[in-house]
Amino acid sequence: MSRRAKESGATIIRYRGVVKRYGAFEALSGVDLDVHAGEVVCLIGPSGSGKSTLLRCTNALETIDGGAIEFEGAELPRDERALREVRRRMGMVFQSFELFPHLTALHNVAEGPRTVLQARRAEAENRARAMLAKVGLSDKATNYPAALSGGQQQRVAIARALAMEPDVMLFDEPTSALDPETIGEVLSVMKALADEGMTMVVVTHEMTFARRVGDWVAVFDAGRIVEQGPPRQIFDAPTTERTRDFLSHLGWHGETL
Amino acid sequence: MQVDLSVITDHWRFLAYGIGVTIALAAASGAASLALGFLVALARLFGPRWAKPAVVLYIDSMRAVPVLVVLVWTFFALPILTGLTMQPFVAALIGLTVHLAAYAAEIYRAGIESVRRGQTRASLALGMSRPQILRRIVLPQALVRMLPAFGSLLSITIKDTAIASVIAVPEIMRQSETLAGQSFQPIEVYSFAMLVYFLILFPVTRGVDRIYRRVAHLGRS
Amino acid sequence: MNLDWSVVAAHRGVLAAATGMTILLTVATMAIAVPCGIVVASVRLYAWAPLRAMATAYVELFRNLPLILLVYWAFYVLPIATDVGLSPFATGLAALALNVTAYNAETFRAGIGSIRRGQLEAAMALGMSRTQAVRRIVLPQAVRRILPVLASTWVSLFKDTSLVSVIAVPELAYVAMQIRAQTFRVLEMLTAMAAIYWLLGYPQAKLVDWIQRRYAVTE
Repeated sequence: MSRRAKESGATIIRYRGVVKRYGAFEALSGVDLDVHAGEVVCLIGPSGSGKSTLLRCTNALETIDGGAIEFEGAELPRDERALREVRRRMGMVFQSFELFPHLTALHNVAEGPRTVLQARRAEAENRARAMLAKVGLSDKATNYPAALSGGQQQRVAIARALAMEPDVMLFDEPTSALDPETIGEVLSVMKALADEGMTMVVVTHEMTFARRVGDWVAVFDAGRIVEQGPPRQIFDAPTTERTRDFLSHLGWHGETL
Repeated sequence: MQVDLSVITDHWRFLAYGIGVTIALAAASGAASLALGFLVALARLFGPRWAKPAVVLYIDSMRAVPVLVVLVWTFFALPILTGLTMQPFVAALIGLTVHLAAYAAEIYRAGIESVRRGQTRASLALGMSRPQILRRIVLPQALVRMLPAFGSLLSITIKDTAIASVIAVPEIMRQSETLAGQSFQPIEVYSFAMLVYFLILFPVTRGVDRIYRRVAHLGRS
Repeated sequence: MNLDWSVVAAHRGVLAAATGMTILLTVATMAIAVPCGIVVASVRLYAWAPLRAMATAYVELFRNLPLILLVYWAFYVLPIATDVGLSPFATGLAALALNVTAYNAETFRAGIGSIRRGQLEAAMALGMSRTQAVRRIVLPQAVRRILPVLASTWVSLFKDTSLVSVIAVPELAYVAMQIRAQTFRVLEMLTAMAAIYWLLGYPQAKLVDWIQRRYAVTE
């Protein structure tokens, strides 16, 4: 689906001139990007180019030093309590899964609703069961993370984020720590989510995913977006040298079927 | 509260003698327990079948019984059994060595077992014999890993020498007790003793940390 | 060498009471040193820099001094510092508690510090407050790492109670040695003393092993 068709949707996230520094090092040097409702926006680019940093600034795990990030029309608050409210409406999936090892899969997924949404135990667990079914892991509900494969753990992590019923899902290199065999099962879940209309911002190295599932792709380099556009443009007819360089370094010679 | 440091300066020779005894006792029992502990560890890992439970019993017993009890028994009870009289320093040396060797043996064992099996396999594939493997490949790596634990044990050894005061070994603690009793100035004397121990122990812990950081990469496989 | 083991049985009441005192000292010290250790560890982890420095100084000081010296020092200094005449029991307890608190503080600090930052972030990304995240996600994991070390500290403490014998606290070591002095039955009493410690200490050591196996952390 092209962006034009979806553009009638509301802007969920708006990044305006976002700057982030770590001491003397500038990780983000002025990033402008819009994420519309129902869109899948993929952030690609070399390591260290700022993609993950932007994601972590989105749910205020890091604070920005310049510019603004708007979520659902309002700038991200500074107050910690208000920020927590915002975080409840965003779901985040980490590269290292970060499942809670002392809880079963079911309790991992139920933890958000129980603790943050103050749901009753039965209700939280029902919701958790539904989410686990959604990612195809109903039979692993009573397993601890240590007994699950990487792909299974990541799917539980996705279920955990979904249990909060977020308005947008943030994925930080969700498949980078996975064995090749298990990458597919996680990408399938993500595609299914996209098909349902979830707004997603995905930092990824999986170019085939970005090409097939993404609605909009932003190419990062050294803290800036050097090119952004629909996947067709980025992958088939890039307009900037940097994008072409990046893609050729990855060995991207068009989509492999 | 009046503080009168002259009691320290007037008797510095007496106190210095105590420091010397502390260091001698710590060094001697430290070295002896390292040696004995090594033999015990080897017996456990590579010795005959009956050795393993015997060693485990010995090690667990030393974990169960206080140093004070070991020292007191060695000095007062052992001579009755053996018929030999024993100097306090010798009794302390024997008691401390036997007690500490148990902990040393555990450190050796954990260190040796922590070296990856692959290292042994690779060495065997090259055609090395088992003693060669132990000596040239496993032990060097294991020793680096054991360094922090041994540093900690050295610290404990020095602290345990103070317990030898109970069997009248003239180390720092005992000398301080005597001086404090005679001069009626326990606060100055014991505070001085605390300072001395701190000045000895603090560099030991810091020094071990620093050496370990420098050589840690040698132990990683 | 003529031995008379009946002296042990003859004094079994006194020895039992003394053993009870040893156990009491151990339990009471831990009861003080665990909460205090948590407080000191929290200061070292979260408080403002000058307080952090003081807490670190306290820990470094008490980990680098022999406990027996602390016992003597407490016996002579505390009455003057607090203007209160403390019983030998209280003095011994104070010295033990100061010592074990320092070790516990280090144990708690290292245990909490060893939990990956990502766990805290994942919890906060769900919308938890920092307090909620620490209480529900970080602490339960930290406890698994802390428990084995705490168990080991407990056994050391049990043995260290013997050191307060030097200020005449009527625990096992003191009482056994008193009986030895009165009856001149040196080998019998000292062996009995060692045996009682062994009987109490050996199962504790084995329990520590079991705890360490059960709570072994595999990342």
